[in-house]
Amino acid sequence: MTRDCDVIVIGSGPAGVSAAFPLTESGLQVLMIDRGKLPDVEPPESDFLSARRHDTGQWKWMVGRDFQAMKMRDAVSPKLRVPSLAYSFDGFGSGNKIKGENFITVGSLATGGLSNAWGCGVARFSSAELAEFPCSVSDMEHSYEVVSRRIGISGNTYDDLSEYFGLDGYAQSPIPMDLLHTQLAQRYSNKRIKLHSQGFRLGRSRVAALSEDISTRKACNLSGNCLWGCRRRSLYSAADDLPRLRQYENFSELPGFLVDGVTRGSRVWRVEGQDIYGVRRSIGAKVLILAAGTLATTRLVLRALKYEHAVPVLSSPTAAFLLWLPSLFATQRLPGFGLGQLSFVLALSTATAFGSTFSTTGIPVSEFARHLPWRRRYGIDILRGLLGACVVGNLFLPGHLTAGEARLNKDGALVVSGTFREAVVPLMKEAAQKLRQSYRRLGALLLPGSFTVGLPGGDVHYAGTVPMRTQPRIGESSPLGEIAGLEGVHVVDGACLPILSEKPHTLTIMANADRIGRKVAELQGRGVC
Amino acid sequence: MRIVVTGATGYIGTRLMCLALKHNHHVTVVSRRQPASYPVDWIPWEMSSRAIELPAETDAVVHLAAKTAMSHEWSDQTEVMAARVLTEAAQKVRSKFIFVSSQTARPNAPTSYGRTKWRIEQDVLAAGGWVVRPGLVYGAHARGLFGTLVDIVGNAPILPAFVPAPKVQPIHVDDLAEGLLRIVEGSDSSCHTYALAAPKPVSFTYFLHEIASSRLRCRRMFLPVPTQLIMVLSRALERLRMPQWGIERLRSLFDLPVMETASDLNRLGIFLRPLCSGMHLSGSVRRRRVLQEGWALLTYVLRKPPGSAVLRRYVRMIDQLRDGEALGLPELLLRYPALLSLIGDSAWGDTAAQAEFSWRMDAATLLGEATPAGGDRFLGLGRDHGMFGRLYLVVKAVACEVIWRGLGTIGLPLVRVMLDRARAAL
Repeated sequence: MTRDCDVIVIGSGPAGVSAAFPLTESGLQVLMIDRGKLPDVEPPESDFLSARRHDTGQWKWMVGRDFQAMKMRDAVSPKLRVPSLAYSFDGFGSGNKIKGENFITVGSLATGGLSNAWGCGVARFSSAELAEFPCSVSDMEHSYEVVSRRIGISGNTYDDLSEYFGLDGYAQSPIPMDLLHTQLAQRYSNKRIKLHSQGFRLGRSRVAALSEDISTRKACNLSGNCLWGCRRRSLYSAADDLPRLRQYENFSELPGFLVDGVTRGSRVWRVEGQDIYGVRRSIGAKVLILAAGTLATTRLVLRALKYEHAVPVLSSPTAAFLLWLPSLFATQRLPGFGLGQLSFVLALSTATAFGSTFSTTGIPVSEFARHLPWRRRYGIDILRGLLGACVVGNLFLPGHLTAGEARLNKDGALVVSGTFREAVVPLMKEAAQKLRQSYRRLGALLLPGSFTVGLPGGDVHYAGTVPMRTQPRIGESSPLGEIAGLEGVHVVDGACLPILSEKPHTLTIMANADRIGRKVAELQGRGVC
Repeated sequence: MRIVVTGATGYIGTRLMCLALKHNHHVTVVSRRQPASYPVDWIPWEMSSRAIELPAETDAVVHLAAKTAMSHEWSDQTEVMAARVLTEAAQKVRSKFIFVSSQTARPNAPTSYGRTKWRIEQDVLAAGGWVVRPGLVYGAHARGLFGTLVDIVGNAPILPAFVPAPKVQPIHVDDLAEGLLRIVEGSDSSCHTYALAAPKPVSFTYFLHEIASSRLRCRRMFLPVPTQLIMVLSRALERLRMPQWGIERLRSLFDLPVMETASDLNRLGIFLRPLCSGMHLSGSVRRRRVLQEGWALLTYVLRKPPGSAVLRRYVRMIDQLRDGEALGLPELLLRYPALLSLIGDSAWGDTAAQAEFSWRMDAATLLGEATPAGGDRFLGLGRDHGMFGRLYLVVKAVACEVIWRGLGTIGLPLVRVMLDRARAAL
């Protein structure tokens, strides 16, 4: 058995590239393997509102030549209906043999993984949260900084969430808010003391979207195309990191390779799978870095371990709601940033909730109309009258509130199931009530019937299936994400997180991957400077 | 198989020839003129010819050639003789012989046309051949009697509605061709007279109305004309030995015996397409129904008629993602899409239909939104409503919703019946 390279990184998403950087920089021969699906629908050419007014071909990116938006009509997230994002989700379940039972399972076979379609929310875990990690806090903090500076984060401002996000040291200035969010922020500054006492804090969202250019990626120009595809690449996708990795001679890629198993050879690990022509291949390396995304990684690990029991799945219960600002009733639709503009933290009786609010402009009105139990014609009329003064919000609870589990079935597929824990119903009720009260003080009405709790798995923040522990048992991983019983196989994506808080977790996954990458390089005798 | 077809350039003949070629049969055409642009053999033949030699390996002869208005130089006797010549030729090569006759064929038919057909039928059956009596043949490119009727309906603003209305049993020309080919291909050895036509007769007035509405998409007025009047006129003309100008043809129409066709259709295993479907040039009403549905839903959503591109997109979406069939919305709602507001969730008898309706409404909403007109309609782009304009919009929307909900509730039984009927009619 021969060794084709020192390290194989499986997956080109945020975790994969974050681990690949320190490994590559240390001089190790790194091979990145991924299925490598690429975009096939052109995003809008002009800003969203101009395109909506003048582009006769807008149906191609709104509905899709193959009618993607209607094919995926019953999918929970509007993102799954966006034709230009279809490639990032396409074929994941069948390709990786992952099934959900009353649990939404989303993943990606695309270059850049799910970061092609993410909400760009970023946050640092607090010291208390990091205390659950079996590693030094300072290592994680260093990695947070490295990753944040690499991907570009905006939202740097001193506000009530500065500490919560903990990223202002490395963030660019915020992207300008729209009129509605500006008003919410203004009113909040007048009422904040009262709202604090109710457990509600508001601040700018910290997002991995640029307000200043970074090399070929350009600053956001408020085109409003966030959902449909940003031609300026203002929103971070792990695919944008690949050109930089390719500059290293010791970094190589094998795109079009779908991994279906890892096996132990003599002295090397072998990655088995099919290449782009459907031919079975096997590639050997001393160290494997699993970054295929939590669910796909979990399947690879459980198969390699021949582990028949269930492993836990953390996943944040979610909700969505709509706020109406009557005082801005006559507002025209204006272009603006399409992702989170303001975020809130809400202290609930037994948990903390986090959420952000978004402009409704870049989202199709159809997405709202179909949930409105009105005659469609008048539903559209009322939405046209009201949506201009509305913002849409989401809410996340900590991941342990979903009782999820994943196990291999007899056919080698990973079956994920789960329900919300009992505490979720009262917590959501409490959240809805507190949000209603808090936003009312900000002059915004939470529209009746709009607060909707999502389905288990709908957050797509899956984590903690093979959590890092100081003393890992079978089915767990070491502080370096190394699977107990599989020496040399390191998990660096969400699968190895020991906890999942209500915060956006992607940056933490990336920082952890960076940290593990560094340590693995050191163990291989190559320090990273 | 090797099939010989007479009258292959005629209305039925052309369609039969095409279908036979599609089924990979070898076709030999027996006619005066060589048929252009078909990969077939040709045997030149005049109806007045006394003899014909058919290819030795012939499996079946389908005799469609008949006296038409163009060939009035032949007498009825010529036609009878021609059939005999062909029957004998077929017997010589041990081939099946199929004669396409007429619904009017009877020994005591009011027209010589019907009597002649009957005489030929007798000869053919005696010689061990098959006889096919088609009903009123229609559809595809209008030729023959159907062509004449389409011309008349197209040109005359007012049409006669004969009282009492004669009944016709239509059959689409392609369904007839299918039936003929089944007889050709079939192993049925006992000779038989097949009656091929719609089992349920329709009134001639309805048939003309369908030509107007489904084929020509025009509206026509109908003036009642007593049948008796035509009979008297025809008899008078006959007695005066004056030209009949087609009135003779009408007499045979008034005198059509109703054929029992269900068992023969069953025996051949063919299903006739509905009249409204067959009236379209494409032979199918399906696409048009989906277009109508798309037009109505998109007009409802956009508050103005949709452009043709988005309408075609709707049809394509239904083809690709659904079964390609229309929902079956009532005519009234298709014509006045505002009335679609009458349909609430409870209006549908079954949940599957309700779910499909809401799917299609979502499809129309999304397709409508993804157009420049939709940008205006959904986002209010390109105009500033101002505070009061917007308030008016919202208040009006609420008021309309309340009113239509009320109407929908009051009219629920009626709406339900309408929806059920329209779907049953599909």
